[in-house]
Amino acid sequence: MLRVRPESTLTASRLTRRFDTRLAVDDVSFELVPGEIFALLGPNGAGKTTTLRMLGGLIHPTSGSVLLNHQTVTAATASRLRASIGFLTETPGLWERLTVRQNLTVYARLHSVASPALAVDRMLDLFGMSDRARDPAGELSKGLKQRVALARTLLHDPSIVLLDEPTAGLDPQSAHDVRDLVLRLRDERRAVLLSTHNLDEVDRVADRVAVLRTRLVALDTPAALRTRLFGRRIRIELGHDAASHVSMLRASGINDVTMHGAVISVALNEHITVAGLVRRLIESGAAINAVIPEERSLEDVYLRLLEAPE
Amino acid sequence: MKRIPPLVAKELTELRRSPSIFLPAVLTGAAAILYPFIIAIIVPYFAGERLSDSGDFELATQMFRSQPEARGLTPEGAIQAYIFEYALVLMVGLTTVTGSMAVAAHSVIGEKQARTLEPLLATPVTTFELLAAKVLGAALPGIALMVGCFTIYVGAVAIFAEPGVWFMMLTPRSLALVFVMGPLAALLGLQLAVCASSRVNDARSAQQLGALIIVLPIAALQIAQFVGGVVLTAGIILGIALLLCAGNVVLMSIAIRLFDRESILTRWK
Repeated sequence: MLRVRPESTLTASRLTRRFDTRLAVDDVSFELVPGEIFALLGPNGAGKTTTLRMLGGLIHPTSGSVLLNHQTVTAATASRLRASIGFLTETPGLWERLTVRQNLTVYARLHSVASPALAVDRMLDLFGMSDRARDPAGELSKGLKQRVALARTLLHDPSIVLLDEPTAGLDPQSAHDVRDLVLRLRDERRAVLLSTHNLDEVDRVADRVAVLRTRLVALDTPAALRTRLFGRRIRIELGHDAASHVSMLRASGINDVTMHGAVISVALNEHITVAGLVRRLIESGAAINAVIPEERSLEDVYLRLLEAPE
Repeated sequence: MKRIPPLVAKELTELRRSPSIFLPAVLTGAAAILYPFIIAIIVPYFAGERLSDSGDFELATQMFRSQPEARGLTPEGAIQAYIFEYALVLMVGLTTVTGSMAVAAHSVIGEKQARTLEPLLATPVTTFELLAAKVLGAALPGIALMVGCFTIYVGAVAIFAEPGVWFMMLTPRSLALVFVMGPLAALLGLQLAVCASSRVNDARSAQQLGALIIVLPIAALQIAQFVGGVVLTAGIILGIALLLCAGNVVLMSIAIRLFDRESILTRWK
């Protein structure tokens, strides 16, 4: 059983979901705190959408539980607790014959927003859609539909925001706008859970990352995952060929060293520090142009995690 | 309950933007209006005979004229009133049910196919609120269509039938038929269609299932009336209305149980 932190706003505790004989999600636990962006990664069919649906109270776990603001989601409480969640589904799901304003107004009223018209105006303004408010949703581009869907997700000022593939199919500018919005949500102290295949996006915004393949494969900050899988490395750019210096380093017992022309890459550990390395190289006559921490991409981390047998 | 009005308003707005969905119901209504006129006015006119000249309607005339409101009618007027009043059952039933059924059957399936159901289910809306809104959203246009047809019907009777016949369309019995039994029967049919819509994957199956269950009894009632097997007195209408009320309550609770959010979200593609 996951121990629930007092500040936790959403807790998934040993979530398991079966569909007949197929195990879609197995024993998944994590929690979200206000002001955190939590990314859920995983290949297709890994159980991300099922997990999101369980968190959003749309489907119930076969075993395990979901706590929203310390209250367990059950069939009896789901309807009430869903009020604190903004759920962006995989597709915008707008009523295409209704105008943008009508779409948002229906949802504002479903969420019992105090002043639906004001809330809709605020969202239209926030998402730059005021001039398209009277257009039928069916006439909007994919990017604009996604903006309306995001506006709908935030209409009722939810403390927890679940975003399923928020930038899928969007052009770079729209995707950038969505990322800015996600960061703004964090600044507003909302808990954001982001399910996506876009690793670059995750790298830019996520505070913590969970990799899901039916079970949780890993859960940590991107930096900690990098360190755990690839260690810490440093890249040193010399003003000349590095071969002799690499030989020197290896002779002194530093074995994890690679070289490409004038560039040396060295794995760091508790015995090998940046300062120590630089000192040795200078002492051996190296002209150092730059010392840069070497960072593996999140894609490398993700692929390495998924390489492991199930 | 407070989430029902916005959902009904949304259903009606969507329908306003696709009026063609009501074309079959309008055609059905027109046919249901026309057919008693063919029997009571057009055929006798072209045949050059009056209905009261034939002995076929004698018993019906006697039965009908036993009503206090009908005593002032001519024999021809009494037969026409008999035909027009009994045809009301079919008109009320068919226009309301066909007017609403296509909408209701499409309701849940349409949302699912348009992928609008999941965001909707992610709101605090309850299954009761969702289904009630679906049923009302489909019933209101059907009832409006039926009231329109009834108005045209009474107007046409006033113009083409014998004097005083139109008044027989406005007796408490007829009005109860139109404004109580009709809507209740329609609601029952719609709930069946929405139930089916929650369980089957295509709107046509739901529509056929709902229509079959509700249209067959209406047709049977119509035939039974014409052959004199059933006389719809005010008491019988009230009894049927009570049964329909009870049926609607039972069916709503069944519909809520049948509406399986999980399988709708996870199994339907």
